[in-house]
Amino acid sequence: YVGHREPPPGAEAYIPQRYPDNRIVSSKYTFWNFIPKNLFEQFRRVANFYFLIIFLVQLIIDTPTSPVTSGLPLFFVITVTAIKQGYEDWLRHKADNAMNQCPVHFIQHGKLVRKQSRKLRVGDIVMVKEDETFPCDLIFLSSNRGDGTCHVTTASLDGESSHKTHYAVQDTKGFHTEEDIGGLHATIECEQPQPDLYKFVGRINVYSDLNDPVVRPLGSENLLLRGATLKNTEKIFGVAIYTGMETKMALNYQSKSQKRSAVEKSMNAFLIVYLCILISKALINTVLKYVWQSEPFRDEPWYNQKTESERQRNLFLKAFTDFLAFMVLFNYIIPVSMYVTVEMQKFLGSYFITWDEDMFDEETGEGPLVNTSDLNEELGQVEYIFTDKTGTLTENNMEFKECCIEGHVYVPHVICNGQVLPESSGIDMIDSSPSVNGREREELFFRALCLCHTVQVKDDDSVDGPRKSPDGGKSCVYISSSPDEVALVEGVQRLGFTYLRLKDNYMEILNRENHIERFELLEILSFDSVRRRMSVIVKSATGEIYLFCKGADSSIFPRVIEGKVDQIRARVERNAVEGLRTLCVAYKRLIQEEYEGICKLLQAAKVALQDREKKLAEAYEQIEKDLTLLGATAVEDRLQEKAADTIEALQKAGIKVWVLTGDKMETAAATCYACKLFRRNTQLLELTTKRIEEQSLHDVLFELSKTVLRHSGSLTRDNLSGLSADMQDYGLIIDGAALSLIMKPREDGSSGNYRELFLEICRSCSAVLCCRMAPLQKAQIVKLIKFSKEHPITLAIGDGANDVSMILEAHVGIGVIGKEGRQAARNSDYAIPKFKHLKKMLLVHGHFYYIRISELVQYFFYKNVCFIFPQFLYQFFCGFSQQTLYDTAYLTLYNISFTSLPILLYSLMEQHVGIDVLKRDPTLYRYHPPNSLS
Amino acid sequence: MAMNYTAKTRRPDNTAFKQQRLPAWQPILTAGTVLPIFFIIGLIFIPIGIGIFVTSNNIREIEIDYTGTEPSSPCNKCLSPDVTPCFCTINFTLEKSFEGNVFMYYGLSNFYQNHRRYVKSRDDSQLNGDSSALLNPSKECEPYRRNEDKPIAPCGAIANSMFNDTLELFLIGNDSYPIPIALKKKGIAWWTDKNVKFRNPPGGDNLEERFKGTTKPVNWLKPVYMLDSDPDNNGFINEDFIVWMRTAALPTFRKLYRLIERKSDLHPTLPAGRYSLNVTYNYPVHYFDGRKRMILSTISWMGGKNPFLGIAYIAVGSISFLLGVVLLVINHKYRNSSNTADITI
Repeated sequence: YVGHREPPPGAEAYIPQRYPDNRIVSSKYTFWNFIPKNLFEQFRRVANFYFLIIFLVQLIIDTPTSPVTSGLPLFFVITVTAIKQGYEDWLRHKADNAMNQCPVHFIQHGKLVRKQSRKLRVGDIVMVKEDETFPCDLIFLSSNRGDGTCHVTTASLDGESSHKTHYAVQDTKGFHTEEDIGGLHATIECEQPQPDLYKFVGRINVYSDLNDPVVRPLGSENLLLRGATLKNTEKIFGVAIYTGMETKMALNYQSKSQKRSAVEKSMNAFLIVYLCILISKALINTVLKYVWQSEPFRDEPWYNQKTESERQRNLFLKAFTDFLAFMVLFNYIIPVSMYVTVEMQKFLGSYFITWDEDMFDEETGEGPLVNTSDLNEELGQVEYIFTDKTGTLTENNMEFKECCIEGHVYVPHVICNGQVLPESSGIDMIDSSPSVNGREREELFFRALCLCHTVQVKDDDSVDGPRKSPDGGKSCVYISSSPDEVALVEGVQRLGFTYLRLKDNYMEILNRENHIERFELLEILSFDSVRRRMSVIVKSATGEIYLFCKGADSSIFPRVIEGKVDQIRARVERNAVEGLRTLCVAYKRLIQEEYEGICKLLQAAKVALQDREKKLAEAYEQIEKDLTLLGATAVEDRLQEKAADTIEALQKAGIKVWVLTGDKMETAAATCYACKLFRRNTQLLELTTKRIEEQSLHDVLFELSKTVLRHSGSLTRDNLSGLSADMQDYGLIIDGAALSLIMKPREDGSSGNYRELFLEICRSCSAVLCCRMAPLQKAQIVKLIKFSKEHPITLAIGDGANDVSMILEAHVGIGVIGKEGRQAARNSDYAIPKFKHLKKMLLVHGHFYYIRISELVQYFFYKNVCFIFPQFLYQFFCGFSQQTLYDTAYLTLYNISFTSLPILLYSLMEQHVGIDVLKRDPTLYRYHPPNSLS
Repeated sequence: MAMNYTAKTRRPDNTAFKQQRLPAWQPILTAGTVLPIFFIIGLIFIPIGIGIFVTSNNIREIEIDYTGTEPSSPCNKCLSPDVTPCFCTINFTLEKSFEGNVFMYYGLSNFYQNHRRYVKSRDDSQLNGDSSALLNPSKECEPYRRNEDKPIAPCGAIANSMFNDTLELFLIGNDSYPIPIALKKKGIAWWTDKNVKFRNPPGGDNLEERFKGTTKPVNWLKPVYMLDSDPDNNGFINEDFIVWMRTAALPTFRKLYRLIERKSDLHPTLPAGRYSLNVTYNYPVHYFDGRKRMILSTISWMGGKNPFLGIAYIAVGSISFLLGVVLLVINHKYRNSSNTADITI
């Protein structure tokens, strides 16, 4: 896919072939293919297919029961499902039509034209007004704002309601009118459509009349996605690049792979067992029939003679039809309506979760969400919980605690969540008052904090902004995708420096003397989780160029050549132990030539079509070095209420809780202590890069496993002597680097060895903390456990986009409806407002649903065996002639109406133990034998 | 299944149903509850069982096998197919008199009336008097559908194999002249069968006219319209025929043959004494190892003779009572030694 057009004068002509039109088709069926396609889909289910076969056999051969007896229930089941799916699809059709027909403004030959959305083609120029949604993926050409920016919210894409700023292509942002835009000559090259919402690489060639074409890089900041809404901007122009089913939204709607619960898997195993029983029954009866019939007076007594054609039939053919007839006779042993009933039970049962008052959060007004009801019972069998720390265990409600400049510690005077009292300009000086030089550094530090971020200022004082800072009568709200940054900017505001806004590439700061300082924003080296830092390059009013860098200590310290590293490092470590999130700030003064070099470097990387990420990273690596350390900040992230309580209960319930976090080890460990994951008597085993540097990975692993195994050896002894009262438990801490060493396959191919050993250690530890994890590593860990020997049921819980991979990987994914957007909640199977709700979710709902579904499934098999076994025995009394014991109507209705409703109600209502008892005594959760259907 | 709520207040209702707080009760089995239940079951079931058992024992029943496979049997001569018609007489003695209405059955053994091929082999619409089905019976009747190019009425294996022995009962009094016992032919079939399921084909008064164009089943001696002289018991609505057409579930079965009605309260219906059973032996069963029996039985409020039910009640009741006693002893003995005061079962 190369959006290559004729070089000039190709203008806006589009290549008609190969691009789909802008029709969105989310529906599965069309009017005429509904019946065949739906039937095909339904008969892919084993049970349905089985009954279809039985039905066909009944039609073909002479069977004891009429085809109606199995045809009617099958028809009933198929029809109910088809009606449900058809209705859902009809709704989708309606939504699609509404979407496809909504009017869109086009620019054609410099004029504004209205067309239906589905007629949009790649290359068309589209005008979008405020509060409209984008009809397709657009490259942002220009807006009516002078600086060529616009704000969008992607609430319907990923649930993040914060406004994001997108930038117009530099060369086109001057075109403000239809005529201007109509005269644009440009071609765009971009990558194949792919579903990642946050990645885009492309290149635009703008042809001016005379000059050579100007090549500009296009990134995701130039891309306006279909489904997002334009805000705070009157109108924008954009050129369509991905349309219809190629838009990122449409690509993202492709359904996730269906998770299947373990109960369902064992249900299938049961089905196979029953199928074997069925076949053996039919075989036994067929054999017995021919043994019994070997005497002619039994086969054909005078009162009951065969017809001529029956006598002449081939013996083997006869035996085979007899076998099939017995199959048909006993086929009711497989419950036809079980799948329907189980599905109904799950669907209706999941309402009890959404209705649960205890899991409703007053603050946010959110209750639990059930995105898939297929996994209700899985909640009752969880053995491993993988939890994110930030936003899940903790509130992700950041408070600026202190900062440390050159070893001097500053604490903002008044700390209360976001509200700053008027006299807040004062600073507590803990250490001695700084020298003049220090004073300078201090101000630089504050400026750095003020400048080095991507926070936006929302001017209007709308009601939904939770953080308002009264600032000279004018209220402004800071919005950012990272709460840390907001906390920092607010903290600095309390220290006297207020970030006002970003205007025309100038950042404005109100300093202590109430002067407005203006810095020109030259570059932003944006944050990513690999580098774990971000930088800005600004030019001050005096013409000095600074690079400010902010990031995790581990990523800053190695790049620092100057500054009081040791003092700050000590402070950072102290703060980390207290569970504060720390960030270090460093700067570098650049001279003009250096800056130009950097510019070139960046430009080259940005224009690259392939491996842009990698090249950018390399460029950043080169730029962010030789820094001067300024200081560090500490931000507190409070634990969620009852997080400790919940974790304790879960551990009592026999669930192993693992914390996977991107935070640094000390912070994470402190949080783990705070939430009682580690206790005072927990012996910590560390498997970190530091230790591996000292010893080889091999040695460390063996040493650890020896410790643990000795412990477990003594444990069994203890158990034998009945003295296991206060056994020592182990906690393991591992960091991302060490993990990747373990996971990395070695040249000699003995990687499995380390993995096994690691798993062995992990299994013997009561709690495991994995820190410094990349999102993918989180998923890796989950996968490692999921496919370990015992195949335990895993549950992953998290709130941010970085947890999505692990949520999708685990058997059950739970999203916390949190502050970092709703992406996790959207991708999860269940979403809950707070971590503490996990307790009731698992201990009560999970427990109930496991018991309920087990009894439901077992009852289904039981009742059908009860129903069919007399039939089997009866064959001994009717000469193995496949005579039915029951009336046809009874056979037909037994499964679908006589016996399904009572058990359905039972399986919705049953509480074998009271809710309160379950909550009080988490150990009851353990008594589920893993996946053995009760 | 996504559930997107658009309601303004998502707060769930605080109702007992939605919060799963509906009143519930669960039996906790302790010695205090289980022991009385065992005793109560025992105390209720044993008297019921005794009552049923006694009732069943009061029912008089006698079975006379007249198959004639034993050489000593008077019916032995009838086994060869050459002797037609064959009459034989079997004498028997009633030790006790039969009170009330007496039911006379014939019983067959090893006769698979429940064989699927046999059960299917009938045409219900023909039996219901449908004139088109009368002349063109259903294919299910094969190979008893047509004979010599004429449709068989009634068609099918069931009808063809209808029981056609004639049984008569005589009381041999003190004088050597036997007194025949009045046997009632009507009232032995189900009301619905007689009036709904089975109907003669439409037509004039003459039954033979109505069955015109059909032929008798191969094994029958007489056509269907000559089964009885009473027009209300002839053709398809002949009660012997209807009884036969209702197939038995097991290979050993009995079917109601005649009623012996009580004449007065003073005299027993069948006084004790010597009787003779006169058989017109037509029906061959020895080809398939079958047996033929004649059964006389009285009934009670619980139906015919059935000792099993009473015995089952008594057995369950006794076991329950015994268990109760054993558990009581155990409970009494160990109550104090274990700290869980109740022994749960």
